[in-house]
Amino acid sequence: MEAFADFWATYSTLIFTVGIHALLALSLWLTLSCGLLSLANAAFMGIGAYTAALLTLHLHWPFPMVLAAGALAPAAVALVIGAPTLRLSGVYLAMATLAFGEVTRILVLNLDITGGPEGLNGIPLLTTWWHIVLILAAAGYALARLRRSRMGRAFEAIREDEVAARMMGIDVEGHKLAAFTLGAVLAGLAGALNAHSTFFISPREYGFENAVDILTMTILGGISSLIGPVLGATILTLLPELLRFLHAYRLAVNGLILIGVVLFLPTGLWDSRRLRHLLRAWRARREGQP
Amino acid sequence: MNRATKHLLFAAASLLAVSAVAGDLKIGIAEALTGGAAQYGVPIRNGFQLAADEINAKGGINGNKVVLVVEDEQGKKEEAINVFKKLIFQDKVLMIFGPTLSNSMFAAGPVANAAKVVAFGTSNTANGISEMGPYIFRNSVMESDVLPVTVRTAVKHYKIKKVAVIYGNDDAFTKSGYDVFKKVLEDQKIPVTTTETYVKGDVDFKAQLTKIKATNPDAIICSGLAEEAATLMVQARGLGLKAPFIGGNGFNSPKLFEVSKTAGEGTFVGSPWANTNPTPANQHFVAAYKQKYGADPNQFAAQAYDAMTIAAAALKSIKVTGNVATDREALHVALPKVSISGATGPFKFRQSVGKDGKPAGYDADQTPFIYVIRDGKFVLFTGK
Repeated sequence: MEAFADFWATYSTLIFTVGIHALLALSLWLTLSCGLLSLANAAFMGIGAYTAALLTLHLHWPFPMVLAAGALAPAAVALVIGAPTLRLSGVYLAMATLAFGEVTRILVLNLDITGGPEGLNGIPLLTTWWHIVLILAAAGYALARLRRSRMGRAFEAIREDEVAARMMGIDVEGHKLAAFTLGAVLAGLAGALNAHSTFFISPREYGFENAVDILTMTILGGISSLIGPVLGATILTLLPELLRFLHAYRLAVNGLILIGVVLFLPTGLWDSRRLRHLLRAWRARREGQP
Repeated sequence: MNRATKHLLFAAASLLAVSAVAGDLKIGIAEALTGGAAQYGVPIRNGFQLAADEINAKGGINGNKVVLVVEDEQGKKEEAINVFKKLIFQDKVLMIFGPTLSNSMFAAGPVANAAKVVAFGTSNTANGISEMGPYIFRNSVMESDVLPVTVRTAVKHYKIKKVAVIYGNDDAFTKSGYDVFKKVLEDQKIPVTTTETYVKGDVDFKAQLTKIKATNPDAIICSGLAEEAATLMVQARGLGLKAPFIGGNGFNSPKLFEVSKTAGEGTFVGSPWANTNPTPANQHFVAAYKQKYGADPNQFAAQAYDAMTIAAAALKSIKVTGNVATDREALHVALPKVSISGATGPFKFRQSVGKDGKPAGYDADQTPFIYVIRDGKFVLFTGK
C-alpha cells in the first residue's frame, strides 16, 4: 500500500496529464471525423482554462459550475467564428483556425484580467482523478454513441464526399458547425481540468506548438476509431517520462520512435482494419498448422 | 554488444550510481537542460556541479558527501511538476534547486511547499514567487531591487530629464521588467515621452525608434532580452538616435555584443553579479569555472554556485539523522539564518509576506552592481 502511495504521489500529475491529453485528442478526433482539419483546439483549450481559472479565482464558483463554464465559453466562441470559417476546407481551414488561435493568444497576452504574459498563478488544486475518469468515460461513451447515430453517419458522409452528402440532403453547414462546436466543448473541458491541476496557466501553453501537439497525438494514434486518439495521447505523454533514464538522449530517442511510427504505420497505431486483417492472418496460420 | 546497448547499460548504471549510500546528502537539481530555456539551465547546472565537486573534494559536509540528482524540466510547467514529484517522493532528496523559469516555479513550487520540502530558485525573478509559501526560497535578485539603483545612477550620471521606454510585451520576463521600470520612473518623478512595444522575434524596430526619436528623450529605457536589445541598439544608432540606453537583467549576456558591437556604448545595466568583482570568492569562482568548463561563467552560474554554498552552510549547521522528513525540516529551519560572502558578494535572506498576510518564503537581500558599457564590454561603474 505504501508503494502505491509513493507511486501515486510521484506520478499523479502525469496520469492526470494523460487523461487531459486524451480528452484533447478526442476533441480533435471529433472535428476530424467531419473532415475538418482544425488548429483551433489549443485556443479553445486556452479559452476554457482561462474562463475556469478566472471564475475560481475571482468569483469562487463551485467546481462543477466552473467546469461547465469552461466547456460552454469556447463553444460560444466556436459558434461565432465557425459560421464564416467553416465555409473553407482543407488547408485553408487549417490556416484560418491557426490565425484564430494566434489572435486568441495575443488577446490573452494583452489583457489585464488574464495577467498578460505572466499568466495566472495560485489556481487551487480542484481536479481529482475521478473528475478526469468520469469526464473521459462520459466523453468516450457519448462519442461512441454519436458515431453510430444519424449525426455521426452524416459526419462520415461529409468527410468522405461533401458534394454527395449535400445531394443526399444532409445539412452540411449545420453538421460541420456542430462537430466544430462539440470539439470546442471537449477542448474547453480539458483546459479547465488542466488549469485546476497545475496551479498555473500562461498564454504560451495554448499556441501553435500545442495545436500541432494535439494533432500529432490524434494522427499518431489513428483516427479510424476512438481508441486511436486515446492511445496516441497516452503514448506521447508517457514516452518522454518512461525514457527519462536515458538522460540527455531521451528527446532524440523520443523523436526516433515517432519517425518510426509515421514511416511504418502511416494510418496510425490503432487502425481497426489492419488489426482485423492481422487477427485473421494469425487465425488462419493457427488453423493451418494445429 | 553493440554501441547502443552499451550506452543504455551505461545510462542504467549511472542511474544506479545515483541511488544513495548512507550518509549521502541528496540534493535535487531541476533545471531546463533542453529547449529554449536551456541557455540559462545549463550554466546553472554547471554552477551547482562545480560547487558540489569542490565541497566533496574538501571531504564533504561534516563527513557526508553531497550527491546531486539532476533532472531536466525542459522549461515546461507539467515537466517541472513531474520532476519535482519524482525528486521529492522517489529520490527522497533533502531539497530542490530550480526550476529555471519563473513560470515553472509557479507550477512546481506549490508541490514542494505542500510536501514540506525546500524549493530554492536561483534564476526566478518574477514577483510573487516567494509569496507562495514558507518553503520557497530564492537567491535571484528581483528586478524591483535592481532597477531603482540602475535608473538613479544613470539619471545622475547623464543628468536625465525625460526618457522614452520600449519593451517586449509578450514575454513574462520583459513585461514584468517594464512594470518595475514604470513604477521606478513614477517614484523618481521622471517623465516618459513615449512608451513603445515589440514582440519576441521582431527584427525591425525602426517604426518604434523613429517615434522615440521624434520625442527627443535624454535616455531610452529598454526592458528586453539581449537578442532584441542588440538589434534595437544598432538600428537606433543607424537612425541617428544618440541617447544612451538603460536596461534590465535581460541585457546581462555576452550575446548583446555579438550583434551590437559598439552601438551599446554608454548603456547602464544593473546586475547581481560582476565578473570583474575583485573579491577572492569571486576570483576563485571565475577561475575554477573557466578551468572546468572552458568558458566564461555568467550571472546564472554564479548564482547557482552561491546557492549551493548557502545550502552547504545550512547543512553544516544541522545534525543529519537519516530520517528524510526530519532532515528536510531541519534544513528548512536552518536556511534562513545563513549569510555568506560568495561570488555575488555579501548575501542574506529576507522573508516575504504571503497573499494571506502571513510570513511566507525568502527572497535575496543583496545590493546590485551597476555596469556601463565601454569599448564593447561591461565595465563596473564607479561614479566616473
